[in-house]
Amino acid sequence: MEYSFFTQLLLDNGISRQILELLVAITLLATLVSIARYIFGSKTYGIYAPIILAISYSYSGLRYGLVVTATVIITTLISYSIIKKIRMHYITRIAINYCLLSITLVLLFLVVDRYGLGLENMSNIAPLAVISIAALSDFFIKQYVRKSLQTTALILGSTILIAVIGWYLITRQNVSDFMINNLWIIPSLIFVNLLVGQFKGLRIKDFLRFNSIISEKENVSK
Amino acid sequence: MFLSSEYKKILGLNRRNQEYVRPYNPPSAKSIADNKILTKKVLAREGIKTPEVYKVIRNKKQLAFLDWDSLPKSFVIKPNKGTGGNGIIVFFGKKKKETAWIRPSGEVMSKRDIILHIENILEGRFSMGSKTDIAIIEERVKTDPILKEYSYRGVPDIRVICFNNVPIMAMTRLPTKRSNGTANLHSGAICTGIDIGTGITTYSMQMNPRALFSDTYENIDATTDLKVNKKLSGIQIPYWDEILRIALVCQKASNLGYIGVDIALDKDNGPVVFELNARPGLGIQVANRTGLRWRLEKVKGLEIKSIKHGIRVAKNLFGGEVEESIEAVSGRKVVNINEKVYLYHNDSKDSTKPKREPFTAFMDTGVLTSRISKNVANRLGFLSTVKFFNSLEIPAKFNSLKEAQDYIDENIKKLTEDEKILRIAKTVEEDGVIIRPVVVITTKISGDKKDIEMIITDDMTYPVALGRTDLKGYLIDTSKTFK
Repeated sequence: MEYSFFTQLLLDNGISRQILELLVAITLLATLVSIARYIFGSKTYGIYAPIILAISYSYSGLRYGLVVTATVIITTLISYSIIKKIRMHYITRIAINYCLLSITLVLLFLVVDRYGLGLENMSNIAPLAVISIAALSDFFIKQYVRKSLQTTALILGSTILIAVIGWYLITRQNVSDFMINNLWIIPSLIFVNLLVGQFKGLRIKDFLRFNSIISEKENVSK
Repeated sequence: MFLSSEYKKILGLNRRNQEYVRPYNPPSAKSIADNKILTKKVLAREGIKTPEVYKVIRNKKQLAFLDWDSLPKSFVIKPNKGTGGNGIIVFFGKKKKETAWIRPSGEVMSKRDIILHIENILEGRFSMGSKTDIAIIEERVKTDPILKEYSYRGVPDIRVICFNNVPIMAMTRLPTKRSNGTANLHSGAICTGIDIGTGITTYSMQMNPRALFSDTYENIDATTDLKVNKKLSGIQIPYWDEILRIALVCQKASNLGYIGVDIALDKDNGPVVFELNARPGLGIQVANRTGLRWRLEKVKGLEIKSIKHGIRVAKNLFGGEVEESIEAVSGRKVVNINEKVYLYHNDSKDSTKPKREPFTAFMDTGVLTSRISKNVANRLGFLSTVKFFNSLEIPAKFNSLKEAQDYIDENIKKLTEDEKILRIAKTVEEDGVIIRPVVVITTKISGDKKDIEMIITDDMTYPVALGRTDLKGYLIDTSKTFK
């Protein structure tokens, strides 16, 4: 593949294509999260969780990534609901949760190895991707401790949704090639974020939230 | 949906943060609001009451040496830097002969459970940024009997949002069974808007438990889970003026330009400040059925000379939500004694864009028929009518109504020759009875457009006076002399 002059210069000077792809992907994913937050009003577990999930999915494949994610969340929910009834310190609870999570993931790999379940390539998933997805457990509990299950689940849903959109974008070969060869996109994403950062209008979620005021006013004026 | 100008009146999170929280709330001021102990100290200097602190636990060593026997039957444990009501536990009573306390839900927490909870607070589990924190054990406010009637066990509070030393909007949050006795809207507490002008509750809402988005609300009219549910509108909040004063004192003391002040009403001590909020939520707009944005923009840049001035400005600018509420209940509209009305030009009656002018009308319940001054009538296209009537040789006054009526009966054809004159009216004035022409003028009062019969009179204090005939269906608010 032919690269632009600047990209070739970077590749010739100790930066691998994979690293470059990842770094460019991070800028794109971070912008996606900021747009989702300030234009759509979609809350996520911070900016790190959706970025790391999207990248993990790109390494594990979406199907496998989502299976691991579901296992992590279900295990965390069950284990935390049980552990919270035992009197102990917070960090020890989290530590126990991670122990149970490791056991469940091992069991998952064993079950998949034995029965297939349409996930035959499970053993080939990059270990770092599995561990990164497992870190979602921590984000989930931190939220669940403070908020209701419904709120926590909603934030989890939007985190995964944004990660999936991010995964889709960064795994398209033409998007990746375009970004690698057009590194000016990074300063332009800074500009996009500057614009999003200055945006004072209502978020899409605000429209839904305050819809009742408008409907009431319209009813009155009729 | 996107085109509605009503949306421009609403304050969203983006604008709140960029236009109000960041520019008007300096970090030093935010640090006061985010620290309950510091808040108490700052407010104490201004003579503002806050719940009495029984114990402050800064570390596990202090927790180990806590004198449990010195704690009263009811108290509250809260994290010093907690957010959104997280980590707050209220105890209503003590279990007999045990070191255990009872929560509003009836759950009993032993000393060991409470120690664990306090340890979690100290570890920062409920605090901003999850940094280590301090646990506060403080007095439980005993709710004022009026608001107690509407609350399920917990302590209701009143939030007043102030900006530029003017109270902008207020609401009361009433604990419910769903909120487990807390006044937290996200947990299901009821939120009721308050008319700034009078301190009377208006509309109510509760977060929708079935909604896909947790931040959508449903309107409600009455409490939801009391033995006998009560109507939520029309409650007069006690100490209203004092509450507004306290909110403004808190704003001044904390130096927060945009602030939410949470005030509870104690049975014995009156208004007590719970906490100051540097980033008050926006749900208050739904309960008041109006946006914060236009109100904030209205007071931005105003020079407010004193707390009394700030309250006066708020009452005059934003009072009146209760009127809309009355309209909803009684079907009658509330108008001010001096109300702005629009009068339409007679010659543009049939055009697609009729010309109109605003005037201040006096609601004159002392007269039956509405009146308009000669000058205004001329401006509205009745110049020829006035000239015609003046050209008639009519006696300047009559000695009695009968005499005037006889004259009208005799000359009715001549007197109503001008097609704009509908009829002739007799008005009793200081020096006798005068006859005057009556014309029809299209008028818009409080959003209602109607054809009103008006007597053209000599100049009056107000250009227009609306009489009893045209005030049917309206309630007159005499408390406001300007708007």
